[in-house]
Amino acid sequence: MVKRHELMKDSIASLLLSLIAQQPMYGYQILKELGRRSEGYFEFKEGTLYPVLHRLEQAGLILGKWQVLPSGRHRKYYTITAKGHYALEEKRSQWEDFLAAMNLIIQPRVLERWER
Amino acid sequence: MTTLLSHYLDSVRDNLRLDHSSETEIIDELETHIQDRVEELKQSGLSEEEATKRCVKLLGSTKLVARQIYEAHSQGTWRQTLLASTPHLFFALLFALNWWYSIGWLSVTIVLILGTAAYGWWHGKPTWLFPWLGYSLLPVVVAGILLLYLPKGWSWLAILLYIPLVFWLLYSITVQTIKRDWLYSSLMLLPAPVIIGWFLAVALEGKFPEYSLERLQHFAPWIGLTFLVLAASVAMFIRLRQRWSKIAVLLISGLLTLTLVAFYTEGSLGSPAFSVLILVMLGLFLTPALLERKIRRGEQKPVTKMPSY
Repeated sequence: MVKRHELMKDSIASLLLSLIAQQPMYGYQILKELGRRSEGYFEFKEGTLYPVLHRLEQAGLILGKWQVLPSGRHRKYYTITAKGHYALEEKRSQWEDFLAAMNLIIQPRVLERWER
Repeated sequence: MTTLLSHYLDSVRDNLRLDHSSETEIIDELETHIQDRVEELKQSGLSEEEATKRCVKLLGSTKLVARQIYEAHSQGTWRQTLLASTPHLFFALLFALNWWYSIGWLSVTIVLILGTAAYGWWHGKPTWLFPWLGYSLLPVVVAGILLLYLPKGWSWLAILLYIPLVFWLLYSITVQTIKRDWLYSSLMLLPAPVIIGWFLAVALEGKFPEYSLERLQHFAPWIGLTFLVLAASVAMFIRLRQRWSKIAVLLISGLLTLTLVAFYTEGSLGSPAFSVLILVMLGLFLTPALLERKIRRGEQKPVTKMPSY
């Protein structure tokens, strides 16, 4: 079981990993997608997205590759690696444990009803 | 791209302190982000100037972005860690196993150090290079010490020629290193205070070389230990991410090794000499930071005013 503060610290990295696992994306696209899916809940200084992406890349969880678009512009697309898929599965499992523990305290009746 | 955005990217680059190719790639990536964001803001009805200002605000502080990106890249791999610690380990072994007086082992070590330093210097100055670079200056130091034993008259003449040459060489290498990051200059100079400390404690007591060599043999295991401490410090330096913790490791390592010299030589290094050595150590480790500031100020373009972010 992972401690809660570690889960919070890793949450942005987990979100990015989860988005990139669905399709290769570039930085700005990830930011827009994060905002759209969370309905604006996850908002942070845009420049701080790149340190998280670079940490994931340095850890070998994602791979960045420059691609030339038909318009001639260059973009760095990130794809998830096998190590990244494995890490994401672990994070999902940790997140489920965290949510279940939270629900035991915050919504005990919901769980009781569900167990019946 | 507008001047404001160019300044933003220049400011990020100035604070990154990574190798040139990594810096270029990071700036290119931020530039594509800026282009996308400005285009979208303009489509929403903002003018070029308004879109630019908004984009800079959305990106956040250049120092924060650069620091976080630096921390993402600053941790060396275990391979780099081992390579960077190797020259200190070599010297620790030379003294611990009493191989230091074998001309064969000394020659092998010097050739290996000079060869590795030259290879790293001409192959993009990787992080592991700097400890090797520091030791590659040792033959210059040894040559200086030997000049003291030339016949009277000749000795002074040689020293007068030697000192400016050494300062020029040290300054050139330090400036080249600072262009990458001043911390690497400090890393390069890491063994200097402890070598000076051992030299003062061992060689200046009695007649050189016979008596000093005897004392050197006596202290060899402790000299080896100080080099082992340096190897461990370098390993920590390479593995740590934050700049402040890297600086702290260098300073603690300098203090610890000089204390070990003073402790094991049992009074040969008195309090005044120890205090002067501490000051020399602080000067050697922190002067590159001041030099870097001076060099950067000199290199800055003569713009009218730098905007603050």
